[in-house]
Amino acid sequence: MVLLHVGTFQLDRDSHLSTIWHDLTPQIRLICSLLFVFATSFTANGRWWTWAIYGLGLAILITLSRVTVSVLIRRVAIESPFMGIALLGMLFRGGGDILWQWGWLQVTTEGMTVLGSVSIKALLSLLMLNLLSMTTAIADLLNALIFLKMPPLLVAIFNSMYRYLGVLIDELETMRRAALSRNLMNNPRWQRLMVGNIIGSLFIRTYERGERIHASMLARGYQGISEIVENPPIKKIDRLVLVCLIALLSLGQGIYFF
Amino acid sequence: MHHNPIAIENLSFAYADGIEALKKINLSIQATERVALVGANGSGKSTLLLHLNGLLLAQSGKILVGDYEVIPQNFKLIRNFVGMVFQNPDDQIFMPTVGEDIKFGPLNQGIKGKNLDDRALQALQAVGLDPDLYQSRNANHLSGGEKKRVAIAGVLAMYPQILVLDEPSAQLDPRSRRQLIELLRTLPLTQFIATHDLDLALELCDRTIILSQGQVVRDGPTQEILSDAPALERYQLELPLSCRCRCY
Repeated sequence: MVLLHVGTFQLDRDSHLSTIWHDLTPQIRLICSLLFVFATSFTANGRWWTWAIYGLGLAILITLSRVTVSVLIRRVAIESPFMGIALLGMLFRGGGDILWQWGWLQVTTEGMTVLGSVSIKALLSLLMLNLLSMTTAIADLLNALIFLKMPPLLVAIFNSMYRYLGVLIDELETMRRAALSRNLMNNPRWQRLMVGNIIGSLFIRTYERGERIHASMLARGYQGISEIVENPPIKKIDRLVLVCLIALLSLGQGIYFF
Repeated sequence: MHHNPIAIENLSFAYADGIEALKKINLSIQATERVALVGANGSGKSTLLLHLNGLLLAQSGKILVGDYEVIPQNFKLIRNFVGMVFQNPDDQIFMPTVGEDIKFGPLNQGIKGKNLDDRALQALQAVGLDPDLYQSRNANHLSGGEKKRVAIAGVLAMYPQILVLDEPSAQLDPRSRRQLIELLRTLPLTQFIATHDLDLALELCDRTIILSQGQVVRDGPTQEILSDAPALERYQLELPLSCRCRCY
């Protein structure tokens, strides 16, 4: 999700603000976000009040963190089509009363409930994750992943992906321009052929660049596993916010039991 | 500082396709010397540089870096001793931010905490970049000249005894190239510079080595070697612009 926005604009554009959310250590911000996403996603379909409570909590968090709301919405909008494809199938799911039918296609109450529930889960999760990525420097985010015991090698791969996606987009653009300047657009068949060649060429260049990067890493003493930068210590405010979040999530889950 | 940081004896190397890239190379570099390695494309310059850091291993002959022979058991010591700056800084700066990239080498040396921060700070200052401005900058958003400086800073942070540079002025505009020359002039390190930029060699280096088809064909004072037009032509090189101006 994060990589969708690389190269278009600054990923962590609101990470330099000073708010209560920004004051939390990055690993706690990550834990809070993951707890929120898991609690939202694992809620049973149709529990609208739970999501209303979570939505309210998230709205307060967005207000407190002072992120640029227009950018947050734009990012969620860019990511939504990927969810949309998965959601479309749920609309025509069977079960419950039939609301609309055309041949074998039918929209049922069950389908509508599932669609609504999954849409809300996706929306809340995307908002939360985008809030995290907008307010946390990518380096802090990756270090926080190490704090959560993600394998350092995997984190190093994320690091490189983030760093090099922009470089690869530049290379692709360079090749595309070179092809266009030699009249690529003249013939659709040629276009398809050229796109195939460009992708092949990009693959080879990527491979070669990978070799050169590895050589440069070895030259600076890399021996297979990246050394870990220490994470900042957990503060009192971190514990407090974590407790508040767990209370909110428990309230959301418990509301149907009262 | 070691008095004889690099000593190469009878070094030969051939690639898997059979091309002999280096043939019986013998050379020695003294402490604080600034040596230019010049030669046409495919003459073996980059291949020779990669040997100094153990990125390629000698197929015959011997390389001594300080007191250590370039063999896998000594790689860690050798890579702390030789700071290699690659031609394309995008190959070298692979961490998302400048600060992190500069800390990569020292972290591999086991340096942590305040010492690590100090190393990054000093390295950035040494290459003339303001640490407050650059530490958190995204490496994607730097100019070519800035990237080159960051690449050098990443190596300086490891406190190497010799700086090996592959085509340092490639892809730089004239102003960035000038700044780079001034920077290299101020660094009190032994420097071994592979370059096509003969004017840079003339300005910076007292000694020049010409490689041709994998062999050292000339080794001597830069002024003398780079003003010998017939010899340069023989090795597919051209007189530096500054020498041509003097001739006219």
